Amino acid sequence: MKKLCMSKPLSTTLIQFSHAPTTVFTTRRRALSSSSSFDIKNVTKSNFESALKDLRGLLRDADFVAVDLEMTGVTSAPWRESFDFDRYDIRYLKVKDSAEKFAVVQFGVCPFRWDSDKQSFIAHPHNFYIFPRYEIPGSNQSCEFICQTTSLDFLAKYQFDFNLCVREGISYLSRSQEEEALEHINSIYMDESSDSVFCLREDADFPLVRMADVLFAERMKNTIREWRDSLLSKGSSSSEIKQISTDPSQRFQMVFFKTRPGLALSGFTSRQLRVIKAVTKKHFKDLAYIRVAGEATSPQQLIVYTDSDDDRDLLMKEVKDGLRKEAEIKVKSAVGFRHVIDLLSSEQKLIVGHNCFLDMAHIYSKFIGPLPSTAEDYVSSIQKFFPFIIDTKILLNANGVFRQRVDKSSTSLSRAFVSICPQIALGVKTSGLADRPCVEVEVQVDEKRSSNWNSGAKHEAGYDAFMTGCIFAQACNHLGIDFTLHVLARDLAKETKLQNYINRLYLSWVSGDVIDLSTGKCTTDSSASRKLKNRYQEISFPSIILLWGLPSKLKAREIRACIVQVFGPNSVSSVYHLDESAVFIQFSKPELVSKFLEMKETLSRNSDPISVLHPLSNILNGEHTHAATYDVYRQICSSSISKKLFADQAEAVGIKRKTVSSRVKKGNQVFDQENEVRVFDEKVYDQMSPPYGYSEPDRSAESFYLDEVLASK
Amino acid sequence: MLQKRLICSRISNTVLQSKPGHSQSKWRVKQVTKSNFSVALEEISTCISNSDFIAVSLKNTGAYSAPWQRILPIDTAQTAYDKAKYAAERFQVLQFAVCPFSIKGSKLIVHPYNFHLFPRDELKIGMPSYSFSCQSSYLTSMAQEGFDFNACIHDGISYLSKSQESAAIDRTGNAPITCTVQTPSGYTVADSVFAERIKSRVKLWITACKDTSKKPEDALISSLRKIVSGDEVYGSRPCLSIDVCSECQVQLVLETLKDFVDVIPLLNPAKGGTIRPVRVVLTSSEEDMILLQKELQNEEKEHNRRLRGFREVIDLISASQKPVVAHNSLNDFTFIHSKFLAPLPSTLDEFRSSLCLVFPNVLDVNHLMKEISPLTKVNNLPASNSYLKQRFFAPIDIEIPNQAEVNEVKTLGHDVVKISQLFAKLCSILKIAPRTPEDVEGHLPDAIECYTNSFNPCFTSSHGPADEDVSVWTDNTGKISIKNLVFLWGFRGVTSAGKLKSLLYGSHEVFDNEFDVRMVDKSCAVVSLRNPGFSKVLLQLLDSGGICTNTLKEMLADGLTAAGYETYQKVCELGVWEADLASSMEKALEETESFSEAQSKGLSGIRRNNDEMINLDDL
Repeated sequence: MKKLCMSKPLSTTLIQFSHAPTTVFTTRRRALSSSSSFDIKNVTKSNFESALKDLRGLLRDADFVAVDLEMTGVTSAPWRESFDFDRYDIRYLKVKDSAEKFAVVQFGVCPFRWDSDKQSFIAHPHNFYIFPRYEIPGSNQSCEFICQTTSLDFLAKYQFDFNLCVREGISYLSRSQEEEALEHINSIYMDESSDSVFCLREDADFPLVRMADVLFAERMKNTIREWRDSLLSKGSSSSEIKQISTDPSQRFQMVFFKTRPGLALSGFTSRQLRVIKAVTKKHFKDLAYIRVAGEATSPQQLIVYTDSDDDRDLLMKEVKDGLRKEAEIKVKSAVGFRHVIDLLSSEQKLIVGHNCFLDMAHIYSKFIGPLPSTAEDYVSSIQKFFPFIIDTKILLNANGVFRQRVDKSSTSLSRAFVSICPQIALGVKTSGLADRPCVEVEVQVDEKRSSNWNSGAKHEAGYDAFMTGCIFAQACNHLGIDFTLHVLARDLAKETKLQNYINRLYLSWVSGDVIDLSTGKCTTDSSASRKLKNRYQEISFPSIILLWGLPSKLKAREIRACIVQVFGPNSVSSVYHLDESAVFIQFSKPELVSKFLEMKETLSRNSDPISVLHPLSNILNGEHTHAATYDVYRQICSSSISKKLFADQAEAVGIKRKTVSSRVKKGNQVFDQENEVRVFDEKVYDQMSPPYGYSEPDRSAESFYLDEVLASK
Repeated sequence: MLQKRLICSRISNTVLQSKPGHSQSKWRVKQVTKSNFSVALEEISTCISNSDFIAVSLKNTGAYSAPWQRILPIDTAQTAYDKAKYAAERFQVLQFAVCPFSIKGSKLIVHPYNFHLFPRDELKIGMPSYSFSCQSSYLTSMAQEGFDFNACIHDGISYLSKSQESAAIDRTGNAPITCTVQTPSGYTVADSVFAERIKSRVKLWITACKDTSKKPEDALISSLRKIVSGDEVYGSRPCLSIDVCSECQVQLVLETLKDFVDVIPLLNPAKGGTIRPVRVVLTSSEEDMILLQKELQNEEKEHNRRLRGFREVIDLISASQKPVVAHNSLNDFTFIHSKFLAPLPSTLDEFRSSLCLVFPNVLDVNHLMKEISPLTKVNNLPASNSYLKQRFFAPIDIEIPNQAEVNEVKTLGHDVVKISQLFAKLCSILKIAPRTPEDVEGHLPDAIECYTNSFNPCFTSSHGPADEDVSVWTDNTGKISIKNLVFLWGFRGVTSAGKLKSLLYGSHEVFDNEFDVRMVDKSCAVVSLRNPGFSKVLLQLLDSGGICTNTLKEMLADGLTAAGYETYQKVCELGVWEADLASSMEKALEETESFSEAQSKGLSGIRRNNDEMINLDDL
């Protein structure tokens, strides 16, 4: 609290300071503001092709590229939010779950290029609307994703256009989806027996059961015969063909298919087409019934005349190859937005994001392939595609100069933007930090240019990406990086002054866990959790137990009281609610975990008076109460199911045995060496726990996290 | 001017009536969002009470995640329910069309409304829905119909289910309500002292308030007095706030206040465990008291409306006890139950009885269609309508009264009118008198009664292009027992039922002339055998080996696995909803094995259904 009071006047002075020279520049700012109010470049299905073409060049020339994503949600269930009791592998599992379940609806890409002549950056903010349709022909798979109600509300509040997204959003395929689709096509077209797919063989003996079918077949036979005869009798062909082609309903049309004469069929029902096919097959050995992709999306049916059997086989092969090529082209075109990601990857540019671990996980799962099951595999894999990633949040927190300037609690993107780049955000000139001048950023959208652009639409991916890039440019400037030097060498990512920050991402901003993408190691950024430090104590995971399915409305304090009665006054260090149905209990010693589990098992087995009167029966007597070690928590988190209540989740995952004690030994062995994490000190916790079971500090921490994640978007 | 407009609207009304059926795009369905909800609620309330039937139709954000998860002909009523339940729990209703209608001869009078819903967390308590699934194809098709997602999210009507409402009241407390007094069991001395003190305090306060001879006071003094005495004002009436420190004291205060005729106690329910003071409002006369009570009731109503949102409409329909007509009633009513009533129970029977309390008569036009054409598979609305048009003469004039002010030309919510129309046609063809007899309120004519509340699945056509092989199946005698069915998976490289069948044919005695194969999805096939004994033989064979041909041996070595229908039931019961049926079956098998190991009872947990017969022709 004290700290907050301290920082407030500080920030006001800062703002005053930055406002001081405003008077001088007011006129200039006004003059500029009229020219700087053009829209950001929005890209949808209709202008994607051209935008991609332009972006190709822009990305190639860029010194770094800022990205930002808007998603349909962050956590699929309340207990999937980030907790202090989460080990780093759990944190990864939670991020993985989020990236797998939610859809990305907007993708901001903003290439920045240093112009040595002007001594300023030129930014090209792009705002892509994307929508997963999985547009592969023949695949009836539908793309499914989750929406978090609050997130949709949040997006709506910032004027996100859902209609545009659904109607005009650019679709995409991930690399693995594309491979799968191509493989599928391959398997169909290689398989001789599946000729039926192209209507080549089957249905030869289509039974003519209905009277209408029989009559229709007869008429078709005659028509086709006439046509064929007219083809063969070269003399009078023209008139005959004319007669058919002037058929009133235009159902037959004389065409040439790969230099062979043919009849294009149109306006028939699928049943009639089957009859025609059967007739052709049965009565005309030299005619082939084929289906090819038409000009429009609908396939085109043809009857083609062939000279010989060889010619016929050749024709069939040609048709098949044509269809295959067609299908492959369709898959290629379904790749859609992934072309942008491929460009980013192939150019090996420095990618800049703000609190971007979740963003990168989304990029991986949407455009590369399924996320690996462990954080180690994931980081090594993503480095192959994006070797240089920088998180401005790390940069801001790690550098003393910025920490001074940016209030600790306001490293959310828009606030950081205002305090780091006031000349862009507010349109004012400042002397910048220390003795360095601010970096100029000129924005270019299509033909329009402005050195003072500010669309102000925060939480729009394109603008957020732009803000992120500006912060990064400013930060580099403060670090004393000479852009002109790097432009010539094109190696901003290799700059030594950035090496301490590059490829380091916040696994969870709340806990300050930082993961190093190049090594896969996870460390705790002490500066991030500095404020909370005095409230934390070291915890070890082997001494944590998970209880769920508790009698409803059992308060944390009551649970603690019960356990203390059995295991002694200092046995429990803290009790922490995951949600209303489950708690973590941290014991003071790991041995107590197995003791507790054993006791639970005996209690649940016996129903004699002693166990009924046992102090623990208060919390364990519920039919559905289960207890398990921390390892089971991991197992539950790794499941793809997401029930709203943790107890339901645990049941759905299939941990039905009342006590999962068989894992105790293994758990101890495995987690003895696990790194330790801080947790709320019991004293603080108890003081703050509200009367009805929820622990208020926990909730506030969660909502803080959520706000942070949302705000950083 | 006004007259002119009246004439215009009358003309447009007659135009509407003169071209029934053809003017589908002119059906004017009233679109309802948060902004016009209150008005529409009043309107629809009268429409519901004046109509004989209510048609409903829902537009959801998705239906099934994998091909095998939709309701298939091989499903029994229970497994179909399991599947519908799974969908209802995950997906969201974005449009809910309600259409009260009456049939008068060949005239159909409809009042269609289309409500736009969004599960917004109005009370910030994580309800009604933390998150929901969407399928992009469903969203895309909704967009094509002209659905406005922005309007839906900004201005959609929220709701709480009945069970959520009680949970919400628990958590947040509700509006001030007058409360019935329960006599406390016994007084302690402290209690009676407290009661006496309250009594004298209230008495004093009342006399002070009624003392009209009082001289006008200085503003400062009066405000000081207010602070000292706890005087407040409730609306225009004087109000006294009495501090209490326990639930018991609240009861005591209420008990004491009974002695005063002209006061009304207001309870501020406990919020987050703290007990808030009881307020006492003084009324000037009996009329005033009635007025205040009415005010309070209105306030409560308003609060409830905010809380329940769209569920008010559901409550109205339910309260009317009128028959509800739907298309695909299993899908729609699992959604209705899970979103507006309570979480879905695990069995169909429980669901049926739970739903019956709220909607006693549910009619499914699909079931009526089956009556007319038991063999043909017409199960979407346009197909049913055109089927009837081709074969029967049943002209229905649609009249949409009181809707002239709606000038939107969107087609949203038209399905509900189509359902009404189809129902009217079916009634006229089946010669059912579609009027609820006035004298036997709540009872349907017997002719319709027999169609109500059957939530058996209405099959969607399962004719994929890959496995269309009708001739074989029409040879069979129709229904076969699920005991004759065996699920097969783990056949690598086999993509069609025909190929699998030719591989299996003759490889063992069970695969004789009368077996058949269907693909459930690309990973799993279902085999129907001549008799239940054969399926046992087959399962045993695949389990423990036996005499079989080399082809079958090859396939077994390649990973061919089989399981009986009970494993499939287990999959649906446990909710093992993997993308491939094969992996779901594998998991269910593992589950069964570990279960039987632990319990050494085998498959005792598997529910047996009465309706184990399924219609083979539908396959």
